[in-house]
Amino acid sequence: MSAKFAVLRSFLVSGLSISLFCVVWELIANANVIPNFPGSLQTFGELIWWISDPFFDNGPNDLGIGFNLLISLRRVLIGYTLAMIVAIPVGLFVGVSKTVKSSVDPYVQLLKPVSPLAWLPIGLFVFRNSEITGIFVIFITSIWPTLINTSIGVQSVDSDVLKVARSLGASRSNTIIKVILPAVMPNILAGMRISMGTAWLVIVAAEMLLGTGIGYFIWNEWNNLYVANIFVAIIIIGITGFILDQLFEFLQLQFNYDS
Amino acid sequence: MNANPIVSDETFSEKEEDSHVKIVNLQKVFPVSRATLFNKKIENYIALDGINLDIKKNTFVSLIGPSGCGKSTLLNLLAGLDSFTSGEIFIEGKHLTGPGPDRGVIFQNYALMPWLTAAGNIDYALETACPELSPSQRREKSRYFLNMVGLERSMDKFPRQISGGMKQRVAIARALSINPTMLLMDEPFGALDALTRSYLQEEVLKIWEKNRVTALLITHSIEEALLMSDKIVLMSSGPSANIADIIDVPLPRPRIRKIIEKNSLFIDIKLKLEEHLLRETRAVEESS
Ligand SMILES: Nc1ncnc2c1ncn2[C@@H]1O[C@H](COP(=O)(O)OP(=O)(O)OP(=O)(O)O)[C@@H](O)[C@H]1O
Ligand SMILES: [Mg+2]
Repeated sequence: MSAKFAVLRSFLVSGLSISLFCVVWELIANANVIPNFPGSLQTFGELIWWISDPFFDNGPNDLGIGFNLLISLRRVLIGYTLAMIVAIPVGLFVGVSKTVKSSVDPYVQLLKPVSPLAWLPIGLFVFRNSEITGIFVIFITSIWPTLINTSIGVQSVDSDVLKVARSLGASRSNTIIKVILPAVMPNILAGMRISMGTAWLVIVAAEMLLGTGIGYFIWNEWNNLYVANIFVAIIIIGITGFILDQLFEFLQLQFNYDS
Repeated sequence: MNANPIVSDETFSEKEEDSHVKIVNLQKVFPVSRATLFNKKIENYIALDGINLDIKKNTFVSLIGPSGCGKSTLLNLLAGLDSFTSGEIFIEGKHLTGPGPDRGVIFQNYALMPWLTAAGNIDYALETACPELSPSQRREKSRYFLNMVGLERSMDKFPRQISGGMKQRVAIARALSINPTMLLMDEPFGALDALTRSYLQEEVLKIWEKNRVTALLITHSIEEALLMSDKIVLMSSGPSANIADIIDVPLPRPRIRKIIEKNSLFIDIKLKLEEHLLRETRAVEESS
């Protein structure tokens, strides 16, 4: 009873908080401190308009928000998946072998702090294609958190468990696949969650320069000077990011070995 | 083979007297890097030096010594998990070359794989050590050994769902499942509460007395060593630890704690051991 009540209570409080925020927003907008600043009513009106018909196509500068969202999600998913295919095995090998660690470390340390957007012109120069460039930027973005989390996870695998595997005569490859990989699953998923979060942040910025996608939608509405639609996009980007994050939280719960 | 039972009986009893493990002049040096403000230098830490030990087949030997003297180091060497610096180790007359499923290891903190159930942990051991078994044979064996440690009803539980004592029982079942000729146990009861510990000691003793293999048990408990072993090996304090004394425990088997605790031999040996441990521990504490 009390657990149900607590959930209900937190929903109520959140709902109240949002309502209050919208009221204050509307009041400030109507005060006209910033000319033409859209209020919450206008923004939600637009939001309903956009989501009631998300899939229309009147050319690249007038695309339904559903299409734009799908374009962004597709870029993220492809770039992200490719990054995971590289990051997880490389992370495992970095964790297992000192030699691999020493040879990969310089790139990781040097490239990790670079904003992924710096790769955008390189991508355009090499691929001469905005679609592939977007995927490429997401690939570079997603790789580091997962690679680093995986390799750190390998180093913290219970040394007694490894001893047991070795004492049973397990080969190196058997140990990596059957012991180390499942042991570091929680770390891999934590890395993947961070990677996805960053990828979703970066795609919006990248698309402003690439054309099409939810990021370009924002840029286009800025050029149209229609700020309400920018807020619509922000709300949709936020909700999508939240859903993606929740997906990983669910996966992490499946691989929580401690409780 | 069975044509002459008398001869085979003789070879059997002769075999019982055979040496299972023979350690000759064993030394283990750890390189320790010491980083100071300006430089990093590698120093050698001589953990074990001049260890000579003979363990007879199917006997139960306990290893007691002050903290940090190198008991675990010695056990790891016997398990083939680490390399030694000099000396020789023979297992059943052959040079030790590395780890192998002829030796089952049990650690203080259970070392179970948390993503596998109790049965899954044993299945992994069987799959790795005995690849010739079919999945159904493995399942049957898992069940058999979990049954042996009284865990048949927790087969499908994950380590996080069972108590410390149950986890250690799974680890014991896992070590036994691969049919080792030798059990290496590093403080297997050390992480358990007193009641669970004494219960599990008796369980392991019962299983071992029914189904003898060579057993090496590291322990800090004199009572535990006396209850379980045929011989107690006393180690001196490190660095350069070696074997200070080997004490026979000729108490009759099967042993029952309540009965042997009243045996005068038990009390004599216990006093002797306490004296030794106190002396060696004092040496450790006063040197540091
Ligand atoms: N990998 C290592 N590198 C350097 N020194 C080590 C290493 N492993 C162990 N030692 C040192 O060797 C000595 C013996 O360690 P060991 O763990 O074998 O002791 P122990 O008798 O098992 O102690 P305890 O009773 O606390 O379990 C200790 O002084 C320890 O610091
Ligand atoms: Mg130890």
